[in-house]
Amino acid sequence: MAQSNEELIASVVRQLMKELNGGSAPAAASGDAGVSAADYPLGMKRRDLLKSPRGIPFDELTLENVESGKVIFEDFSISADVLNYQGNIAVSAGRTQIALNFARAREMTKIPDERILEMYNSLRPHRSTKDELLAIAGELQDKYGASVCAGFVKEAADVYERRKLLKGDLPSTD
Amino acid sequence: MAGTKRSKRFEVLENRPVHLDGFIGEWIEVGLYAMGSPQDPKPSIRIESGKVVEMDGKVRADFSMIEQFVADYAINVKNAPEAMAKSEVEIARMLVDINVPRPECIRIFTALTPAKIARVMDSMNIVEMMMAMQKMRCRQTPANQAHVTSAKDHPVMLAADAAEATYRGFKEIETTVGVVRYAPFNALALLVGGQVGRRGTLSQDALEEAFELQVGMRGLTHYAETVSVYGTESVFVDGDDTPWSKSFLASAYASRGLKMRFTSGTGSEVQMGAAEGKSMLYLETLCVMVTKGAGVQGLQNGSISCIGVPGAVPSGIRAVAAENLITMCLDLEVASGSDQTFTHSDQRRTARTIPQLFAGTDWIFSGYSSTPNYDNMFAGSNWDIEDMDDYLALQRDFKIDGGMRPVKEEDVIAVRNKAARAIQAVFAELGFPPITDEEVEACTYANGSKDIGDRNIPEDLKAAERLMKDGITGVDIAKALAKRGFRDVAESLILMMRQRVAGDYLQTSSWVASDGTVYSAVNDPNTYAGPGTGYKMSDERWEEIKSIPWAIRAEDI
Repeated sequence: MAQSNEELIASVVRQLMKELNGGSAPAAASGDAGVSAADYPLGMKRRDLLKSPRGIPFDELTLENVESGKVIFEDFSISADVLNYQGNIAVSAGRTQIALNFARAREMTKIPDERILEMYNSLRPHRSTKDELLAIAGELQDKYGASVCAGFVKEAADVYERRKLLKGDLPSTD
Repeated sequence: MAGTKRSKRFEVLENRPVHLDGFIGEWIEVGLYAMGSPQDPKPSIRIESGKVVEMDGKVRADFSMIEQFVADYAINVKNAPEAMAKSEVEIARMLVDINVPRPECIRIFTALTPAKIARVMDSMNIVEMMMAMQKMRCRQTPANQAHVTSAKDHPVMLAADAAEATYRGFKEIETTVGVVRYAPFNALALLVGGQVGRRGTLSQDALEEAFELQVGMRGLTHYAETVSVYGTESVFVDGDDTPWSKSFLASAYASRGLKMRFTSGTGSEVQMGAAEGKSMLYLETLCVMVTKGAGVQGLQNGSISCIGVPGAVPSGIRAVAAENLITMCLDLEVASGSDQTFTHSDQRRTARTIPQLFAGTDWIFSGYSSTPNYDNMFAGSNWDIEDMDDYLALQRDFKIDGGMRPVKEEDVIAVRNKAARAIQAVFAELGFPPITDEEVEACTYANGSKDIGDRNIPEDLKAAERLMKDGITGVDIAKALAKRGFRDVAESLILMMRQRVAGDYLQTSSWVASDGTVYSAVNDPNTYAGPGTGYKMSDERWEEIKSIPWAIRAEDI
């Protein structure tokens, strides 16, 4: 499901926002192996769907394979696909907003730890100018294909401007 | 009163512990008002083309950042006209009516404005709130969380206490520090000790937001909880965040396969001097809705570290129960506080916990001090390990499941000793300052940090820093344990690392069983619909609760 994923997640998010804002019932499981609450917990019922980001099957993530070096720390990471499945499970259990959170998270799996922490700090109040926030939104979109996150940061930039929460809005404490 | 003849009765009463507590009358302007303040906004909603353009008497252009976030992300506008048309009493009656299923209550509640929600709560008495809690909490089976801290930040004692806590039944454990630089070691001690006491334990290290995320990313903790949200814009900004930054952070946790919940509580805005004249419960409602809108699965609330504020005003402890109930009604996991000390009166501290304990919540305490009070680094606990047998007796008296089980002394000594030896092995393998056999022995048998010696603190701190600098991960700890003969503990660490891949514990109100199965509101939803339904204590569990070791057995007489 490689390249179509961006489109897929974007459409899922549109659907979720529509549901939240008065549209019809959400598509419970738009694609993605038709995963729903009936498949939960995936770790017990759908191990076939679980693998590390570089493709090691769930059942091979064992102590023995850690000791032999076949499995490394980075293998114990959630994949974008699994966040999709968990988002579908949340929606089918009636929890739309959790799926939106996982849609952002799904995009963030591509962003390095350090950069995520920096972006978080930039989103704190009075840390960034509007242009700086828009630049982050651009980076999210262009570098990581993270359109949901980009939209969210743009929205923050507008709110911060209206509520005077941008960098220039307070006397600098430096 | 000087010079007047005193009543001996009144002199006795004045010397009771409750007179050491702070009580204050309502003070509307500064927000010293538990719930239903005359200055709280009046409920209203106006929707145009799917957007909330007016909420609780305020037009969109005037929304604070919190109000905008809540209006856009936390209110189901499709259901809002129907839900808002109902009276407060009508909605309150739905919550206590066994004939109205939980999902229907959720459908209505998630379409209300903050002012409306606060008013629904104010139309209920405490017993009605308890009835509603029983139906509305997300997960059917209640659970409990412990605080595991040490006045000395002693890693061996922390590991032993973590093991004992989880062996006694706490499914989540939380630590924090006396000395900040000890934080990586505290996380490590709980990671190892927690799994020794019960495979499947979730552990966390409550510190500054960015650090918490970092240790989580490394696999040294499994979840985070102290990610605070507030009910007024100025206090939120004082807390150095916005709903957008906090939501971004929440997604960052999920993107690393880490469980997390937000934290809030009545009284925090008053304590920070910016309640804008609103009642504590109204402001807390906004916090719960920010959490909902962020897509975070749960919330720790119940005043938490601000309990002294609602505890001092009329109806304050009722408001604390109400904030827990709001969280449940918005279909969020609730870690319902009951934690910090607020009173000198044993009666008050017990009564404060009754609504949550008797009705059952996802996490009744968040947490219960698993150490003596002097070792509790969350500024003292409402209940601590020295109250544990009282707690066990209460479970037995009322046939309630408070998440704990009676234990035998020799078994506790054994798990404490194993945890102490396991952390000793990890320290040795990673070249950290040695843990002596004497330290292992002392921490095995100790009650608190007064019973044990001191560590070489500067050396420990250097090593703790190295743990972070060298990028040591949960996998490295598992390897160290396996190499030094603690294979079963190493397996437990790997089992928990695998949770990050499956992501099942990201769902609402999760805990992990010892075989790795995750239970949450998805596969253990609350189905309460009156007597004979909902959580039913198994015969096995009831036998366990009954069997307090110090009870006289009929066959021995």
